[in-house]
Amino acid sequence: MVDLSRFYRVLLKLYPARFREEFEGPLERQFADEYREASTRSARAAFLLRALADFALTLPPEIGREVRQDLSYAARVYRRRAVVTGLALTALALAIGATTGVFSVVNALLLRSLPFREPERIVQVQTPSVPPLAGRPQFYAWRDSNPSLADVAAYFPTEMNLGLAGQSARLPIAETSANFFALLGGEPQFGRGFAADEDMEGRDGVAVIAFSVWQQFFGGDPRVLGQTIHLNGAPLTVIGVAPPAFDFPGKTAVWTPTVFDFQRVPLQGVFYGDTVGRLKPGLSLPQARTMFEAEARRLIPDSFTRAGRLRPSLIPLQERLAGTVRQASLVLLGVVAFVLLIACANVAHLLLSRVAERRRELMIRGALGASRARLVQQLITESTLLTAASAAAGLGVAHWAARLAAMTQPGKLASQVYTVLDTRVLLFSVGVALITGLVFGVLPALLIGRLQLAMDPLRSQPGSRGSGAGRMRAALVVLQAAFTLVLLAGSIIMGRSFLRLLRTDLGYRTANVVTLNVSLAGTRWESAHIMAQYYNDALQRLRTVPGVDSAAAVQFMPLIESFGMGSTFELDSSHNSSIASTIAATTDYFRTMGTDLVEGREFNAADRANSERVAVVNEEFVRRVGAGPHLVGRRITAKWPPGAKAVTIVGIVRTARAHGPSDPGSPQIFFPAEQWVPGFVTFVARVRGNVEPYLPVCRDAVQQVDGKVPVYDVKTLDERLSDNLARPRFYTTAVLFLGGFALLLALVGIYGVASYSITQRTHEIGVRIAVGAPSPGVRLLLARQSLLPMLLGLAGGIFPAVALGKYLQHLIDSAQVVDAQTCGAAASLLAAFAAVAVWSATRRVTRVDPMAALRAE
Amino acid sequence: MAKLTEPAIQDYLPLPLPVFHMLLALSEGERHGYGLKREILRRTNGKLNLGSGALYGSISRMIEQGLIEESEERPDFHLDDERRRYYRITALGRRVVQAEAVRLQHLVRLAEDTLGLPELA
Repeated sequence: MVDLSRFYRVLLKLYPARFREEFEGPLERQFADEYREASTRSARAAFLLRALADFALTLPPEIGREVRQDLSYAARVYRRRAVVTGLALTALALAIGATTGVFSVVNALLLRSLPFREPERIVQVQTPSVPPLAGRPQFYAWRDSNPSLADVAAYFPTEMNLGLAGQSARLPIAETSANFFALLGGEPQFGRGFAADEDMEGRDGVAVIAFSVWQQFFGGDPRVLGQTIHLNGAPLTVIGVAPPAFDFPGKTAVWTPTVFDFQRVPLQGVFYGDTVGRLKPGLSLPQARTMFEAEARRLIPDSFTRAGRLRPSLIPLQERLAGTVRQASLVLLGVVAFVLLIACANVAHLLLSRVAERRRELMIRGALGASRARLVQQLITESTLLTAASAAAGLGVAHWAARLAAMTQPGKLASQVYTVLDTRVLLFSVGVALITGLVFGVLPALLIGRLQLAMDPLRSQPGSRGSGAGRMRAALVVLQAAFTLVLLAGSIIMGRSFLRLLRTDLGYRTANVVTLNVSLAGTRWESAHIMAQYYNDALQRLRTVPGVDSAAAVQFMPLIESFGMGSTFELDSSHNSSIASTIAATTDYFRTMGTDLVEGREFNAADRANSERVAVVNEEFVRRVGAGPHLVGRRITAKWPPGAKAVTIVGIVRTARAHGPSDPGSPQIFFPAEQWVPGFVTFVARVRGNVEPYLPVCRDAVQQVDGKVPVYDVKTLDERLSDNLARPRFYTTAVLFLGGFALLLALVGIYGVASYSITQRTHEIGVRIAVGAPSPGVRLLLARQSLLPMLLGLAGGIFPAVALGKYLQHLIDSAQVVDAQTCGAAASLLAAFAAVAVWSATRRVTRVDPMAALRAE
Repeated sequence: MAKLTEPAIQDYLPLPLPVFHMLLALSEGERHGYGLKREILRRTNGKLNLGSGALYGSISRMIEQGLIEESEERPDFHLDDERRRYYRITALGRRVVQAEAVRLQHLVRLAEDTLGLPELA
């Protein structure tokens, strides 16, 4: 019986504080009575069951009732102090949001498992010997002799023209060894993967298409199996459709077997191959890695010294796919978690100062019989309400942060999309919010414990003790001011250099230009003289589009990431030479791009395939050659390939920053497209007025030449510039955000400390005013005392700020050093904000009634 | 503390059955929680057996609504356990329980007029 009573008493502890406080005694008493009255064993058992059922049924509504009451009380408390609440809410929302946003990236790249069978056992095989390049038998022999890997597959990602049923598109393709799907476990949704011998010459005419391609081009028709598609003109039979989430190695649309024939150099694009392996059963990654490295050392002894970054190793596929973003996102997660901590400390402080102000209210409630548990429950409800609201708002911030990150450095696979709407991310933010709320709840609760220890709480004089705590608070302000100064100075220089990037003269004008890509590989135009015919046709059609001022085509367009070609060129009858990249361009190219001609002429209709070989060079080339500014009429000869013919320079143009504003510009030589016909070009058209409506019109105009030639990447040149600036924009936004955020936190912190100390010193202030001190004078005194630690912090922050500037220069080459001016600007900004915060915190001084303050004594 | 705005009596109706019984029992005099429970048990021939959680949950709500209040008067100190609390009905509680009885009476009349009631055995 004693034990049962104790058990019931423990159960009662689960009821909310107010109910328990009110009825704990009667409930216990009644339990004891009823138990005693039950005479038989079965009656006692029945009673116990009933008591348990009663408990289980009444617990939830009682909790609900008290939470509702506490919440409505908390809402009233917050409404009374809207400014402080707003500050705390904003700070927490930003901190929780930023942390969650970064976590969503970490989650997508590192935590969410890849859509493969046992994805953690798949590794990227890094080896300088590139076994697949040796040929098919060698590749499989190497795979079979490998001691650590159960299977290895090779794949070669590239882009090709996909033609099917009269439509055409430019899509990412992967040529793979036949065991690719079997190894990854991405067995096709239906149809089949490649058979073991389908990566041999003559049997390789098959393809597996991506789920999205199936939906988009075949409308999800299951009769797709057996149909024929064309990749760069070669016919392939569709044998399978990949599962929806499967697009490895990267947004891949079609997989087709490789035949390990690398003499057949692709018409364009970079040749690049890679291998993935699956660990042998029973081997852990470290074991397998050790074995693999030992084997590599035996086969190619110098591979470790020679290869540098590409030293032989096995790298978990997930880690490899995440690449550099992995480290960056982990570092960023650490930073934002730290900021969250500071935000918590500050907001806790703010709430503490509020609790201190509410001492009297709480003590009166205590005196009226509210137990400590009840007050603690109230305070925890208040802090939970605040963090729940902040977390909800924070999800918006997180969503925005994830989108920003996706624009800059998206995951390689579709399954790695950054999103907040993911169970793990949502749980994370709920967890962060709960912990934060508890921290706030517990601190004030501890304070209540102290309040109730005081012998005569209504008269005890706060603030007389705890000067140690005061010093700690001051130290916090010093540190925070320094921290904020560093971040502010950082954001100022980042912002300034970004503005400078935006204002940089590129050497061409990006406004009002439509650009679109075309590749003739695998189409019926794939030979030099009819390629030129295609380009001429397309240009003719573009030029007749109403509103198009001029149109041209170029092989390597500024702001398009591509690998150029180049050589060293020698000026005739001199030893002056310079390397330069070579680019084929048509008539009107420079006029269309808005690149100024410095001397000579552009290409024109007279520059035909059989006329004199000519070239236009840019100013950077002229400078590097170093034979004076006037090169028009001189002849240059490429050193490679040997025996290249000399060409005559007919014009000099301004140097274009081909890779965007941060590119200083490199030497370039342009040849007439009629004389050096490229296999792919970008068409450019300069139009009048708003450029957007011209995008589809221009695409249709080019497509009219031949619907089977894919026209892709139809974009305005401004859009390409904006893409080019995505990375600096991301870093600038991140640093500006952190800077602005730190400023906000500093304000919250300073305001909190100032208002806390004023609350603590109400009595002293009352005395000062009572003996005749004017209240503005008292305010000044308080403001001065609160601002002093802050100024110390500013002084201390200068050195770290300069150091940060140096680091940022590594991050973005266009960032400048932090100078005295920047520091001064950041410091004055911070000081001004702090002064406003402190001054408004001291506003209460004017409301202190000296008599009331003294009476409290 | 007097309520600033007292809700209309109708707003309390219909009363949950346990509340109706508790108010009825309390209108005969003050009782403590357990006494109340036993009285209701007796009045309903053992059909309404309130668990302690439900009992005190209802008491707590009734106090909040101002239907009953805690009584400071205690019976003889020796007979009492200090853990027990005594409750009495308020004027409002009395009006509310009467209104509920009237409401029930209307219902019964309606049923009687519509289909007639069998004689109680």
